[in-house]
Amino acid sequence: MSQSEAVIEIRNLSKVYRDFWGRPKVRALNALSLDIKKGEVFGLLGPNGSGKTTTLKLLLGLLFPTEGEIKILGKSAADVSKNERIGYLPEESYLYRFLNAYETLDFYGRLFNMSAAQRKERSEKLLDLVKLAPQSRRRQLKEYSKGMTRRIGVAQALINDPDLVMLDEPTSGLDPLGNRDMKDLILDLKAQGKTVLMCSHLLADVQDVCDRIAILYGGELKVMGRVDELLKAQDETQIRSSKLSEAAEKEIQDVLKRHGATNVKVDQPTASLEDLFLKTVQESRERPGHRNVTDHQSVS
Amino acid sequence: MYFDPNEYLLNPFISFLNWVVVVGALTFVVLFVSMLNLLTTKGMSGIGIFFDELGGMAADLFQLSPRRIWALTRLTYTEAIRRKALAVFVVFGLLFMFAGWFMGDSKEIKPDQVKVYISFVLTAISWLTLPVVLLLCCFGIPEDIRLRSIHTVVTKPARRVEIVLGRMIGIWLIGCLVLTVMAIVGHFWIVRQIPADSQPLLTCRVPVYGTEMEFLDREGNSARSGVNVGDIWIFRSYIEGATKARARWRFIKVDESVLDSDGNLNFENSFSAFRSYKGDMTRPLFYDIKLYNPEKNLAYTTDPQPVNEFRHKLDKIPRKVTVDDVQYDILKDFVTANKDLLIEVSCIDREQYIGMARSDLFIRMPDRPFWMGYWKAILGISLTLLLITMIGVSASTMVKGPIAAVLTFVIYFLSLKDNHQFMDQLVFGQVQGGGFLESVYRLVMHLGPSAELPANPAFAVIQFFDWLLNNFLWLCRHVIPYSQYFNMPEFVANGFDVPLDTSIIPSLLVTSAFIIPCVVMGYFALRIRELESK
Repeated sequence: MSQSEAVIEIRNLSKVYRDFWGRPKVRALNALSLDIKKGEVFGLLGPNGSGKTTTLKLLLGLLFPTEGEIKILGKSAADVSKNERIGYLPEESYLYRFLNAYETLDFYGRLFNMSAAQRKERSEKLLDLVKLAPQSRRRQLKEYSKGMTRRIGVAQALINDPDLVMLDEPTSGLDPLGNRDMKDLILDLKAQGKTVLMCSHLLADVQDVCDRIAILYGGELKVMGRVDELLKAQDETQIRSSKLSEAAEKEIQDVLKRHGATNVKVDQPTASLEDLFLKTVQESRERPGHRNVTDHQSVS
Repeated sequence: MYFDPNEYLLNPFISFLNWVVVVGALTFVVLFVSMLNLLTTKGMSGIGIFFDELGGMAADLFQLSPRRIWALTRLTYTEAIRRKALAVFVVFGLLFMFAGWFMGDSKEIKPDQVKVYISFVLTAISWLTLPVVLLLCCFGIPEDIRLRSIHTVVTKPARRVEIVLGRMIGIWLIGCLVLTVMAIVGHFWIVRQIPADSQPLLTCRVPVYGTEMEFLDREGNSARSGVNVGDIWIFRSYIEGATKARARWRFIKVDESVLDSDGNLNFENSFSAFRSYKGDMTRPLFYDIKLYNPEKNLAYTTDPQPVNEFRHKLDKIPRKVTVDDVQYDILKDFVTANKDLLIEVSCIDREQYIGMARSDLFIRMPDRPFWMGYWKAILGISLTLLLITMIGVSASTMVKGPIAAVLTFVIYFLSLKDNHQFMDQLVFGQVQGGGFLESVYRLVMHLGPSAELPANPAFAVIQFFDWLLNNFLWLCRHVIPYSQYFNMPEFVANGFDVPLDTSIIPSLLVTSAFIIPCVVMGYFALRIRELESK
């Protein structure tokens, strides 16, 4: 399969949910058409009820389309054999809560007909990859926190080393550390040449990892394109530099105004809250007991 | 003793044909219902989907993976154990700890008490394992759908057939585990409860029943039955003493295997006596047994034997018998060229009667050890568990857990002997008062079951709907299994070995007949529904 070849092809896809009597209740998806290419990270965005999860479930064959066509890895959505090359992380980790981490991965590995040795090796590797603490691996999933359940959910999605990974709200319920790990993992999958389709309404996460996005609203496709192109402000210019003196800043402002620039703003950039949090945690690990409190009122 | 095993002559070809018809009919019903479902939900395009899915199922069958099935089996098994299905052992333990208090003095053991002990153990095991399996099989898949755990399974290469099979095998295995542990404990409990001097009562008799029984009336003419002495239950017919009234049995395929180790031919009977006058109540009634071979015009009659009322009576006939000072060999001289042995029983006492049914006289072959029959009875329970599991799992793929449980229980309830036989009577018009609607009409109008009904259009409509209902009942009657085949504990409790042809093979055939339709039903139900919990 070449780089430009579509891994997922959706044509005119619609889904109408019906009530008990078969009467149309809600049109969750309306004439959606899109292609997802091999090796890209594609984000499906939209508010709650916009049709993201419905699209994912239609792709996986968990729901049946009312109209339209789906091709995944060249096969129909109803074809079970396509699942050999797909990994799926549901919105909530619907795993078997009475199994422990090893048993969970062993079970899903068996579904892929993996040998005992393969399952063992792959399980250890994945549990390390998702950073599940060794002491937690023998505990039943019902004792896991949401973050831990999410990690084991990701591990089961990757048990077969899939070509296409579908992630439904992958960062929901994760703390900032877990969130960062998840995003790193997605970027790592992309680096390995895998295709990732993720649904999310956490825009910052999507922005960080996705190559292309589609925004759905009311079951309809509203916007689709590359993230960098869609977010580029066409009528503004941004200049970045190392720290300058106040005089230099003033001089630059004057130059910009001479060239007709309006709304000129020169100040220090701020780090994101995520970066600050990660930095604090990192320092706390390296220097236990150290505190760096700047807001004295908050600790009085 | 009122134990009457069904006459069942095993003809492999006929049995196989019946089996194919049953499997075919069941599968057709399942496919028809699936197609109807698709037609109502998808319209005319449902026909295309139906045939696509049929092809998909055939393709799935060729791609079944034992490893995936085993994975799902293990999952089911682990789930049941971790959800504390084994708590049933607590109830079992309590039952056996205190059962002895209510079951009489074990120092004075009688045959009927042995029967009570065996019945208690096997019934307790059945009624403890059946609900566990029923609940497990009916709630497994619906819970998976409700909690959406099934999403992580069907998005893997697991076929729907594998999911259904994995669930069935897993639940059956857990049922068998529980059953085996209980059976071992139960076996020790029975042996421990029976005192050493009564241990010989723990045995498995091997009967050879006569295939045909006929009567001769007091004039010596052939009759459909003997005399009815007024007992409302017509299980037994009576022959009059000191007349030409006789009861005749034909035993087939008689060879050396029917003789005991001493070379005797043993007849066991449980005849009942009916006195038309009081006479000497301490003196029993007498009968004799005649072996006759019409081909050689040869007959041998035993000495008069007392009727052992309410008890079994064993008559030993030596292989070599003397008739008119000539010695004959029973097997060579009394068994016909077709290997048939003909027996005639007569009552000796004038104006007294002896009652008998086909199963009241049989050739008793060498006994088998108790444990052999006991474990065959456990096999019968395990097959019942398998049948319930298959029905429950396939029902649970279509409807929610509680409904599946009720549906499975109703099918099991209807499969019980009395209910199944009542269904037979309804289907074959042996119940007076007409069908369902006609009966309601008669009740409302205060009309007796034999009263003439007016021939008007309303009644014609009633009869038409009754005809439809009767056909539906006919279908149910043929689809619902007959659990009597699985009732192997009854044989053991009555001191018999479980026969291969009357019980084991029919139950295996019935069970296997349900595998294909149940798997097809499970496949279609999981394929044509959206696996979203609603």
